Amino acid sequence: MRVRTRVMSAVTAGGALLALSGCGAADMSKQASPYANAAGAKTVTLSVQSWVGAQADVAVAEYLLKNELGYRVDKVQIDEVPAWDALSQGRVDAIMEDWGHPDQEQRYVKEKKTIVSGGDIGVTGHIGWYVPTYFAKKHPDVTDWKNLNKYADRFRTSESGGKGQLMDGSPSYVTNDKALVKNLDLDYEVVFAGSEAAQITQIEQFAKEKKPFLTYWYKPQWLFEKVPMTEVKLPEYKEGCDADPAKIKCAYPHTPLQKYFNADFAKKGGDAAEFLKNFKWSEEDQNEVSLMIADKKMSPEDAAKAWVDKNESKWKGWLPK
Amino acid sequence: MATATASSPVRETGIGALLRHRAVGKLLLLAVAAAVLVPILNAKWASGAWPDALTVDLTEPLGRTTDWIIDNRDNHPLFIYFLGHISNAIVLSVRGVYLVLLAAGWAGVTIGAGLVAWRVAGVRLAVMASAAFAVCGLLGMWVPTMQTLALMIVAVLASVVIGLLLGLAGGLNDRCFRVLRPVLDTMQVLPAYAYLLPFALVFGMGVPAAIIATVVYAAPPMARLTALGLRGADGGVMEAVTSLGATGRQRLFSARLPLALKELLLGLNQTIMMALSMAVIASVIGAGGLGDRVYQALSTVDVGQALAAGIPIVLLAVVLDRVTGAAGERAGANAEDSSPLRGGRGWAVAAAGTVVAALAARFADRVDWPTGWVVNIAPSVNTAKEWMVDHIYTGVPVVGGTADWAAHFTDWVLNPVRDGLQGLPWWSVLLVVAALAWLIGTWQTALTAVAAMGAIGVLGVWDKSLDTLAQVLAGVAVTLVLGFAIGVAASRSKRFESLLRPVLDVFQTMPQFVYLIPVVALFGIGRAPAVAAAVVYALPAVVRITTQGLNQVDASAMESSRSLGATSWQQLRQVQLPLARPALMLALNQGVVLVLAVVVIGGLVGGGALGYDVVFGIAQGDLATGLVAGIAIVCLGLMLDRVTQPTARREPSAKKGA
Amino acid sequence: MSEATMTNGTETTTPAAGPVFAVKNLWKVFGPRAGRIPDDTSLHGLSPAELRERTGCTAAVRDVSFEVNKGEVFVVMGLSGSGKSTLVRCLTRLIEPTSGTIAIDGEDVLAMDKARLRELRRHRASMVFQHFGLLPHRSVLDNVAYGLEIQGVGKAERRAKALEVVEKVGLEGLEQRKPGQLSGGQQQRVGLARALAVDPEVLLFDEPFSALDPLIRRDMQEEVVRLHREEGRTMVFITHDLSEALKLGDRIALMRDGRVVQCGTPEEIVGSPADDYVRDFVRDVARADVMSVRSAMRPATGDDESRGAALGPDAKVSEAIEAVARSGFPVRVMDGKRCLGVVDHAGLLAVVAGTAAPAPTPPAPAAPTPTVPGQGEVVG
Repeated sequence: MRVRTRVMSAVTAGGALLALSGCGAADMSKQASPYANAAGAKTVTLSVQSWVGAQADVAVAEYLLKNELGYRVDKVQIDEVPAWDALSQGRVDAIMEDWGHPDQEQRYVKEKKTIVSGGDIGVTGHIGWYVPTYFAKKHPDVTDWKNLNKYADRFRTSESGGKGQLMDGSPSYVTNDKALVKNLDLDYEVVFAGSEAAQITQIEQFAKEKKPFLTYWYKPQWLFEKVPMTEVKLPEYKEGCDADPAKIKCAYPHTPLQKYFNADFAKKGGDAAEFLKNFKWSEEDQNEVSLMIADKKMSPEDAAKAWVDKNESKWKGWLPK
Repeated sequence: MATATASSPVRETGIGALLRHRAVGKLLLLAVAAAVLVPILNAKWASGAWPDALTVDLTEPLGRTTDWIIDNRDNHPLFIYFLGHISNAIVLSVRGVYLVLLAAGWAGVTIGAGLVAWRVAGVRLAVMASAAFAVCGLLGMWVPTMQTLALMIVAVLASVVIGLLLGLAGGLNDRCFRVLRPVLDTMQVLPAYAYLLPFALVFGMGVPAAIIATVVYAAPPMARLTALGLRGADGGVMEAVTSLGATGRQRLFSARLPLALKELLLGLNQTIMMALSMAVIASVIGAGGLGDRVYQALSTVDVGQALAAGIPIVLLAVVLDRVTGAAGERAGANAEDSSPLRGGRGWAVAAAGTVVAALAARFADRVDWPTGWVVNIAPSVNTAKEWMVDHIYTGVPVVGGTADWAAHFTDWVLNPVRDGLQGLPWWSVLLVVAALAWLIGTWQTALTAVAAMGAIGVLGVWDKSLDTLAQVLAGVAVTLVLGFAIGVAASRSKRFESLLRPVLDVFQTMPQFVYLIPVVALFGIGRAPAVAAAVVYALPAVVRITTQGLNQVDASAMESSRSLGATSWQQLRQVQLPLARPALMLALNQGVVLVLAVVVIGGLVGGGALGYDVVFGIAQGDLATGLVAGIAIVCLGLMLDRVTQPTARREPSAKKGA
Repeated sequence: MSEATMTNGTETTTPAAGPVFAVKNLWKVFGPRAGRIPDDTSLHGLSPAELRERTGCTAAVRDVSFEVNKGEVFVVMGLSGSGKSTLVRCLTRLIEPTSGTIAIDGEDVLAMDKARLRELRRHRASMVFQHFGLLPHRSVLDNVAYGLEIQGVGKAERRAKALEVVEKVGLEGLEQRKPGQLSGGQQQRVGLARALAVDPEVLLFDEPFSALDPLIRRDMQEEVVRLHREEGRTMVFITHDLSEALKLGDRIALMRDGRVVQCGTPEEIVGSPADDYVRDFVRDVARADVMSVRSAMRPATGDDESRGAALGPDAKVSEAIEAVARSGFPVRVMDGKRCLGVVDHAGLLAVVAGTAAPAPTPPAPAAPTPTVPGQGEVVG
């Protein structure tokens, strides 16, 4: 008897759940995060990328959304490519800083139309290979890729074995380094630090001991203030030279960093959407906040507050009229 | 020397000779097979690494699969009419639980947790539970804690229901059991990390994928223990019940299930611990909550922030473990509950208390954790960490710094082992695996192990897998040396053991992810820190099993050797260690499995190899790389388990809940 | 010795009511293709070891027949491995017999469907087990009421009934305890109460007291004797303890290697063992406590009929010894007013010494031709 009631109630509960989820079709690409809009608050979900620049964008946006516009802000850390998928599904409302993903753009913005561009963030990004300036001064010819093999020995570490070490960061970053090393016949091993922070820690350790190192790095980046680095010139970038990832033989391009929004959010996001669309600042601004977060270990919120307090004229214009 | 063994020299040599005989036979057979096959293989594919001709490139089909899934996710019937509903139901349930938790407010949850703990586990744990939640709030982690809790509640409920159903099938039907048993046993040794990607792809980043991965990971122990519990029901009682004319259903509900209560609660306990562990790791695919905070902190090497998020995880783990553990013990004991708050009344009081607390907080307008009560520990922790890094990271006189150790370990251990393994001809690796697995088990074991290793080769990740394997071997070696040493010390000194026990308890309940933070701070990036994290993670289980094994050695054997005047070293070497061999083997097995689980996560801190490929696969949404690496990890786990698992599996293995 | 003759013998003693259990040619064989063993008569003569070797099967119960009469305590006795526990489980098909027939009150047990079989187990035969088989998570009261709960009896009613039975077996005040908190003897009282609570026609006991220590065992045996006296319920009692069998049994079936080697009253078993195995078994029994005065009787001569103490024909020899010792004269065995005979020193001594047979063969070398002296012979 008791069993039957229990089974019955389970079935009823399951049925109710199914009914609630709207019997029939259920498009899971239209499901928000279960944590969104909880307890009546208006919520914006931002994707935080793992590099500090993006965290600075999000920190300031979050601070202003919260304190000027009264939103609750959820941050989700998702890697770059999956973030596009999450954005398309509406699990994330906005990506604040994208370094260029033509494939994803083609798929989601042009074909599916679930994502819309949000314009420039105001910062131009550039990826490249760098050596510490203290090393480049002593060995000026290292800044040309053709001479790299000469120095491979100097860049050796226990991780790279017999070859020189080219340090890469997070696996999620845009990188052609493995192909480059191969196609340019360099006697180097690409070692992945696993995350940008691990990479920064390692760079700082090297710098402290004034050791030589070769690393994948990018601008704008606050670390240049602490550890001056000089770019190694790779074969010049030309439009289309990076079309086939396996045959790449050229440098990385200069990319104006972009914002992207979920299409629905862009339409119905109200003040928040408008504010994020207006959000546009400069490399110096971003670096200032990044430095506070990453080097001074301030919480992103405090860092954002410090910047916002100083720069009212800059952000006033971002608020919806 | 002569004392302990002299008493049974005949038997000793008899069995020994037989064993050696059988072992020699197996090896001879293998040698003959090798002598025939190797020249052929070598002639055809002469290369050190796995021959390209024998690999299957899955990049193309897997890439197409990815595209198909993404393109069809919003219109194909499979997604819209089936997976979509599952996903929807999960989102709704998590949201429901989350809203209830938020509505209860910090006061309601803290008091409620205490009252629940009080009902199932007594006053001491009630205080502990409430305090734990208060600390979560104090650390400024209230909302992420609630998110993780909501996710956990849904995942655990689903795991328990699914586990129970599977367990019932396996417990009541022999054929089901024979099918389920090896599957469940195997699933339990697989690293959590390998599960993530496929679910992330099908369900997209986010909570549904995280929950499903968690359920898949956490349901097997429930199913396994339910089946074992039901099968282990006292035959006498079951017969008595039958003799009274009970129907099948009556037998199940009034006798078999209640008799298995202890196993069921143990299963619940393990499921909760595994779910927590997975819920944290699943932050990589967008689970949110505490794990996400750890993940974020990890990506900025913000040890302070990671600790602030890590402490609530550990507290949750310890509280959940203790409360469910205590509930299990209570169910086992036959304490007469004579308090006036017995049964339903006690629960009513608990419910009423929770509601009152929640309402009180609501009327005081303090539903959210008050911001003024938050203690930010991150800066001071980071200062301490900076100090440590400055002083012990490198250049410490005489001993060298931690980074130097890591470099030496990489240079002197990891690199030679890796290069050695990768330098071996591929067929000789298979041969070694076959020999080990066969010596320790049956020809089926050997076949499984070789097939797993062969699959790795076919998938084209031979070198990477050997790199991971090298890390595992190095990690296991360190773990065993340390673990056996500590275990022996603990078994010799009661005082040391009692000091050690709480430490082990805490370490054993911590999710794998948490270990990555301190090692990055200490050892920098690379394979060494990954191995270090793995060692720290696996050590408690190895120490515990070793200590237990040594302590359980037959007291009369110990006594007789003492009476013959054996020194304590002689006792250990000649009596305890040989008699504790099964336990030591189990420790080895567990060590291998646990080390693998963390070495793979080490991809996040520069461990490279297979772990990195999984991270990369997730990061780039690249199914081909990620899934292949995931399968290779699974195969590696299978192979390692088979090679270290004596044939006679011990029934309720002292498996760690993670 | 064929069982058939023995069954016939017992049948004649209680012709009035039909037997409660009638078991005929029952076999229980474990092993591969067990069903062929009972039919293959060429295998019947084999010893268990030979049978195992030849067929891979073990015959736990071999061709057993007996009947249990209403109101009697029927004891099945044998050493471990003799098949007695299997036999009693076959009665309610807890173990499915391989072949043969079992009838309860004339109804074929082996032909019952599931529901009917449950009815049998619920209402007609309940069992008490060696290891109690109590549900550890339930209180004493709920354990006792369990059988009624299974039958679907309402909570209040079954609790009332259980309370009553709990009192009957002397467990008052322990109703709310859990089995784990009770001593072995108390636990077995719960087991007994659980069996009694459903008010069954037959109680089956499977070595119920062998896990208990001797003093408690004696208490429990007396409890069973008392219950039997008060309620007259039919009981089938399995034991490996001869003294228990002799104390409780109205009739005893002695089993060895799955066969019944002898079936009869305690007096028959002790007084006239069917073979050397049984004789060896009963050698150390205190015969004076088992044998009745009938077995030591001689016809009255002279003035025997007029003096000495008088005892009934079922009085034990030990009582007669006491009476003879006190009075100095032979004891008269009286059936009502009629004097059946007298018992004197010589007769009593012969019983105690185990030589109380018309043909006084020395017991030690064990003559191969046991002449079986039944009681009827003496009476007749």
